[in-house]
Amino acid sequence: MILECLKAYNYRNLAATELSWNEKFNVVYGSNAQGKTNLLEAIYLFGHLKSFRNARGSDLIRHNAETARLNATIKRHKVRHQLEITLAKAGRTPKINGKTVQKLTQFLGHLRTVIFTPEELGIIKGYPAGRRALLDRAILQTDPTYLERVQEFDRVLRQRNQLLKQQSSFKELIPWNSAFVRTGGIIRYERINYLERFRSQLRLVYKEITGGTETADVHYSVAPGALQCLTEQLATDLDKNYQREQKLGLTLAGPHRDDLEFLVDDRLLRTFGSQGQQRSFLLAFKAAQVVDLEKQLKESPILLLDDLASELDASRQEGFFSFLLQRQSQVFLTAAQLPKLAISVRQTASYFKVDQGMIFLTTPE
Amino acid sequence: MLNSIPSFTRLVSELAKFPGIGNKTATRLAFFLLRQPEAETEALASALLDLKRRTRFCSVCFHITEEDPCQICTDKGRDDTLICVVEDPQALLAIERSRSFKGRYHVLHGALSPLDGIGPADLKVAPLIRRLEQGTIQEMLIATNFTVEGDATALYLAKLTQHLGIKLTRLAYGIPMGSELEYVDEATVNRAVEGRREL
Repeated sequence: MILECLKAYNYRNLAATELSWNEKFNVVYGSNAQGKTNLLEAIYLFGHLKSFRNARGSDLIRHNAETARLNATIKRHKVRHQLEITLAKAGRTPKINGKTVQKLTQFLGHLRTVIFTPEELGIIKGYPAGRRALLDRAILQTDPTYLERVQEFDRVLRQRNQLLKQQSSFKELIPWNSAFVRTGGIIRYERINYLERFRSQLRLVYKEITGGTETADVHYSVAPGALQCLTEQLATDLDKNYQREQKLGLTLAGPHRDDLEFLVDDRLLRTFGSQGQQRSFLLAFKAAQVVDLEKQLKESPILLLDDLASELDASRQEGFFSFLLQRQSQVFLTAAQLPKLAISVRQTASYFKVDQGMIFLTTPE
Repeated sequence: MLNSIPSFTRLVSELAKFPGIGNKTATRLAFFLLRQPEAETEALASALLDLKRRTRFCSVCFHITEEDPCQICTDKGRDDTLICVVEDPQALLAIERSRSFKGRYHVLHGALSPLDGIGPADLKVAPLIRRLEQGTIQEMLIATNFTVEGDATALYLAKLTQHLGIKLTRLAYGIPMGSELEYVDEATVNRAVEGRREL
């Protein structure tokens, strides 16, 4: 999939210009706080309908404006589509080819994006919720209907927690328990399945980026098993935790509490990883996600690389660019200064300068 | 400007309470009523009052009715051994329109939803259990909605009535009649595959 054009109206600080993008490499450069990341965020929004910066919908609208609009022309399987997102304080309205969609899942999947941003580096040392979200977003890009299953689980969990807070009788909990076990089992099953498939890619890519000295791995906090085993395990946990859950008023075990372990050479990255290892790991995670999407969907996602140069040393950058060259992905790369790119990349790339929200095509000397 | 006509403003405010009706539509409706002959307005007013004064819930099944028990409950041609449990009168009417069900009904008036503060005591569950305990009913078809809350309510009823030895059934779900598979959304196809049955 290719993003051909993007127009932004009242979106953060971006000026309302229509821009045509290079099908391969787009280098977006400019000083800090000019709007480079805002541009990546706008593209990302088409794939996730959410910002990667934890911004609320109203944060995306230019100060003093009521609504913002993003229009994209994309090309998928040789067909052009018009995507539109209108952002208002009340919410967002996505449209495909001028038509409003019935369900968000119909919109997701038209423009798949994978982002690498320094803002996500905190995930590796941060709370489990961040790592779960990282995984859920990856699954969602391969299968947009996963969103409905996550939403169903969340609803059941909230209903169940409410009952626990009210100190309700066990009899009232029973229907929510079975709903929790059924929906929770499915989430765990899909997460584990994804990681089982994903792991080998991650190892390969990590070796490629780092030059083959270390091995990366990822583990889910629940052991793999058949769907039925996972559901039964959840049911057992509910029984075991009942007394404590009643006291605390919340559900103690389930997909909403699970964690992912990121490992390099069998050592936990969270506690033992160096800064460089953390960056390489996150980048490898994203790159493996790209390969997986290509394999699963026979289509390359759009890769958004935010300020990559400041995050990787020269040799790792080299490793990563050689990985990129083997891909079909369209790439958007931001940098404060014009980055030094491999010659093969340099020849195909287009350069855009960002200055106070204005973006224009340049030819660097 | 409309504030200078208090009776008009009052009507608009009342109409704007309707579901799906905002201030603009309410104003349009009020202007329409204003232009109607007085007899028409009186007919509407008395219809509104009649609805409130004459209807109540059936003491047996809790459907809306003018006579208690309701027509469905007193209909001798219906099967007393079969009962269908629905969330609201609208659902009952939907099943009646299909003419596919010839048993009795029971309207719960809602579904379990702890987040909205709705528990079993807020639904017509206790009268349902009393009906089931009388021993005539042999099958209970649970036709609550296919939402997280509707499913939980169905499970709750199933657990609660287990000991009575009544056959429990749930409405089947899946592909709508007359639709082509390619146009059905993924979640529905998913459920239809899960709930497949032998030919």
